[in-house]
Amino acid sequence: MSLASDHAVEATSTSAESAEIAGRSLTQIAWRRLRRDKVAMTSLLVVLVIVSIAALAPVITRLVGVDPSSFNDKAVSDAGGLPLGRLGGVSLAHPLGVEPGTGRDLFARLLYGSRISLLIALSATLITVTLGVSVGIVAGYSRGWLDSALGRLMDVILAFPLILILLALSNVLTQRLETTFHLGELVARVLYLILVLSLFGWPYLARIVRGQVLSLREREFVESAVSMGAGTPRILFREILPNLWAPILVYATLLLPTYIAAEAALSYLGVGLVPPTPSWGAMLADSVRYFAVDPAFLFIPGTYLFVVVLAFNLLGDAVRDALDPRAGRA
Amino acid sequence: MGKAKIGLRSAAVVSLAAMALAACGGGSSGGSSGKSGNTPAGQPVKGGTLTMLSLNQEFTDLDPQRAYTGEDIAFLNAYMTRSLTAFKVSRDPKEQGTLVPDMATDTGTPANGGKDWSFTLRDGMKWEDGSPVTCEDVKYGVSRTFATDVITGGPTYAIQYLDIPSAKDGSSVYKGPYTTKGNDTAAYDKAVVCEGNKITFHLAKPVGDFNYTVTLGMGAVPKAADTAEKYTKKIVSNGPYKIQAYTKGNQMVLVRNENWSKDSDSYRPAYPDKIVVKFGLDQSVIDQRMIRDSGADQQAFMRESLLSSDLATVFNDPRYESRRVTNFSPYVIYRVINVEKVPDLKQRQAIAVAMDRAQLRQILGGKFAGDIADGVIKPNLAQDYAPSGMWTGLLGKTIPDSGDPEYAKQLIKDSGKPMPTITYSYSQNPDADKGAASIKSSLEKAGMKVKLNPIEASAYYTTIFDKSRATELMANGWGPDWPNASTVIPPLFTLKGGWDVGLVNDKAYNEKVAAALSETDRAKQATMWQDLNKEAMQQAWVVPTLFENDQRLAGSKVKSASGQNGQLYIGGSAGNWPYNDMYVQK
Repeated sequence: MSLASDHAVEATSTSAESAEIAGRSLTQIAWRRLRRDKVAMTSLLVVLVIVSIAALAPVITRLVGVDPSSFNDKAVSDAGGLPLGRLGGVSLAHPLGVEPGTGRDLFARLLYGSRISLLIALSATLITVTLGVSVGIVAGYSRGWLDSALGRLMDVILAFPLILILLALSNVLTQRLETTFHLGELVARVLYLILVLSLFGWPYLARIVRGQVLSLREREFVESAVSMGAGTPRILFREILPNLWAPILVYATLLLPTYIAAEAALSYLGVGLVPPTPSWGAMLADSVRYFAVDPAFLFIPGTYLFVVVLAFNLLGDAVRDALDPRAGRA
Repeated sequence: MGKAKIGLRSAAVVSLAAMALAACGGGSSGGSSGKSGNTPAGQPVKGGTLTMLSLNQEFTDLDPQRAYTGEDIAFLNAYMTRSLTAFKVSRDPKEQGTLVPDMATDTGTPANGGKDWSFTLRDGMKWEDGSPVTCEDVKYGVSRTFATDVITGGPTYAIQYLDIPSAKDGSSVYKGPYTTKGNDTAAYDKAVVCEGNKITFHLAKPVGDFNYTVTLGMGAVPKAADTAEKYTKKIVSNGPYKIQAYTKGNQMVLVRNENWSKDSDSYRPAYPDKIVVKFGLDQSVIDQRMIRDSGADQQAFMRESLLSSDLATVFNDPRYESRRVTNFSPYVIYRVINVEKVPDLKQRQAIAVAMDRAQLRQILGGKFAGDIADGVIKPNLAQDYAPSGMWTGLLGKTIPDSGDPEYAKQLIKDSGKPMPTITYSYSQNPDADKGAASIKSSLEKAGMKVKLNPIEASAYYTTIFDKSRATELMANGWGPDWPNASTVIPPLFTLKGGWDVGLVNDKAYNEKVAAALSETDRAKQATMWQDLNKEAMQQAWVVPTLFENDQRLAGSKVKSASGQNGQLYIGGSAGNWPYNDMYVQK
C-alpha cells in the first residue's frame, strides 16, 4: 500500500459522514454521495445520452432517413426561402424542421454538429488538463527560479487577448497546419481549435494545481518519501498527483461545457469549421437573422446547446460536491 | 459586418457581404416601381424634414473626387455637389440613363472625333459662402484626382482619359494641385482649358460617352476652401442644401443653402426644408421601425436594403404595397473562373454547366433574390443588354437552372485532360457558406473534386487579387459606374481594367474591347458590348448566377414627384432612391 492511499484512509477516517464504516476509499465515498444526488444522476444520464447520440449520429440519421448535407428545395418557400409548414418545417421527413434557404435537415445537422463540438471540447479538455497538471505540479514543487519562470509564462499567456488572436490568426495558422502536416482542411481546422483552446486554457488549472502542491509538499507523507530517498519524478507523480484528483476532476468537468460553448462562440464568429460541416455556432449565427420569422430555427439548436452545457455543468458541480462536501453549494 | 470600403466598383464586396445580412429577394423586376405610364405623378409640396436611416457609421466620402458608391453619389449630387451633367430623374427605366444638363447648359459638345469635349457653365451658380462657381473651380476639382496619394478611393477616369503623358513608371506626369516638385502642371493646363465659362477636356483617345464620365468624380471644388484629405468630411456645397451638423456614428443635418438659387438650377426642385441622416442603426431595428411606420418615422426611409428575413413579411402583405419598393440592384452576381488555373475551355464550360444556379438563388431568398443571370450585363443597362443565350445553346445545349451534371461529365471527358481540383474562394457569411456548400455538392455531382476556401470579408479582395493565393473559382459581383457597358466589360475581362479577377488576357478580345470603347455611335457600341458579353460567356470566363434585386421600405409620408401617384421607387444603373424629387407629404 502506497503512502498516498494511506493518506486517503486517513482522510476518510476523519470524515464524520463515513465514520461508521472504516476502510472505504475516497473514490467509493464520493461515488456514494454522487449516487444519492438526484440532479447529478439526471445530468449524468443526459450526458451519457448526448455522448452516445453524437457517437452514433450516422446510424441514427440513417434510421430516420435524413442527412446533414442534402438540399431540399421543396421544403422551403420560393418567396423568401423560409421553411414551409409549422415550427420551421417540422414534419415526418424532417423531425426538427429544415434550415431556411437550403432545406437541409436540422435534426441531422444538430447531431453531426454535436459530434464535432464534443470532439473538440473533449480533446481540448484532455490536453488542457495534461498541460495544466504537469506544469502546476512542477511549478509548485520546484519553487525557486523554475516556479517564477513558469509563473511568468502563465501570466503572459493569461494576458493574451484570446478571441482577438483566434480571429486574426485562424486562416494563416490553419493553412500552416494544412501544409506542414499534410492534413485535410477539416482536420486542420479542428486541430487548430483544439490547440488554441487548450494552449490558452491550461494556466488557470496550472495555478490551482500549483497552489495545492505548495501545501501538499509540506505534508508528512511527502517528507517521509523524501527521507526514504524517493526521486523527484516519483514524488511528483506517485505521491502528490493522486491527491490532486479531486480538484482536477472538478475542473475538467466544468471546463468541458465551457469549451463546448467556446467552440460554438468561435463558429458564431466565423473562425470555426469549413462548410458544409455542420456546427452549432454557425447554425446559431445564421438563425439570429431569422428570429422574427422562423423562431424555431433559433430555438432548436439554442435549446440543445443549452441542455448540453447545463448537463455538463450540473454534473461538474455535483462531482465537486461529492469530492469536497465542505465547499458546499453556493 | 461593416461596410468598410465602398465605391461602385468595390461595392461588389459590399453587395456580396450585405446579401447575408441585408439584401435581396424580390420578384421579377419592376413590381411596384419602375413602371412607365400616363398615370399622374405626385403632388409635391415644399417643406418638412426628410430622414434617412442608415446602418453605416458615416458617409465613406463626401468629397466629389472620392465618393464612389452609387447611392452616396446620388444623395450628394441631389443635395450638395453638382456635376456638369446628371441623369434624368424618372421612374421609366428607359429614361433613367438619359443625360440632362446640370452645371453645364447642355450635355456637352464633342469635337475632333470625340477627343475634345466642351461644356459651357450656367450663370448665377454660387457656393454656400456666396462666391460664384467658376470654370476654374471645375478644373481645380478634376485636378485633385491626380493627387493619388491624397485623394484616394475615388474614380480615376480623369487620369485614364485626359491627354496627359505618362512618366517612366506609368503614372501621370501631373501629380495634382498639392505638390510642385517634379510636377508637370503645364501638361494639365493643356489638357483642361477654361475660356470664360467654357471648359474643354482634351482626351488621349476618343471617348464616345465622356459626357457620362463627368457625372463621376468630376465635381467642382473651390480652391480656397480645399482642405485636401480632410475635405471629404466637410465639403462646401453648391447645391440647394448645406451641412449644418455632422457627427460620425450619430447624424448629419442638412439645411437650405441660402446662396443657391432656383434660377441657376433646372435639375433640383429641392422640396424638403431639412434633411437628416441617422447613422449607426442596426438594420433589423431600421426594418422594424419602417414596418411599424409610427410618428416621425413616417417621414423616414432606409438607405440600405431590407433584411432577407423580413422580405416575406413586407412583400406578402398588401398593407405595405404603397411603401415598399423592389427593383434590380446594380449588381450581377457571378463566379469567376481563373483562366490560368483552368486554361481548358471545355473544363471551364463544365464548371458553368454543373453549377446549380436555381439552388444558389433559392439560398438568397428565391424569387426575391433576383433573376437567374445569363451574362455580366444586366437588363437595367437597357440598350446594352441582350440575352446572351448562355443557358439556351451557347454552351452546346440548353442547360436547366439546376445544372446538368451529365453534360458536364461529358465536357470534362471531351477535354481529354484530368480536371484540376476546384478550390472555391468566397467572402464568408452565413448565406455564402450555404452557397459554397451548394457549389461543392453540384460540382461533385459532375465528378469534380471541390475544396472550399472561406475568407474573412475584409481580407477577401486582397487575397483573390494576390496571384499566389487566387484559386480556380472565386465569388464576385459587379455593378456599372454609369449606364454603359464600357464600365462592365473592359474592367472585368481585360487586364488593364483593374477587376479582371480571373486573369483573362485574350489579345483578340482586347482589340475588340478597344474598338468598342472608342466607338462614338452609341447604338453601334451597344451591339458591340452585347457581342463581347456573349463571347465572354461562351468562353466561360465567369459563371453568371444572379441579376440581383434590391428591396426597401419607406415611411408613409415619403413620396417622389416623379413616382406613380407620388409613390417611391428605386432605379437607374445605381438602383438608388430618387433623392432629387423626394418630398414629405403633409
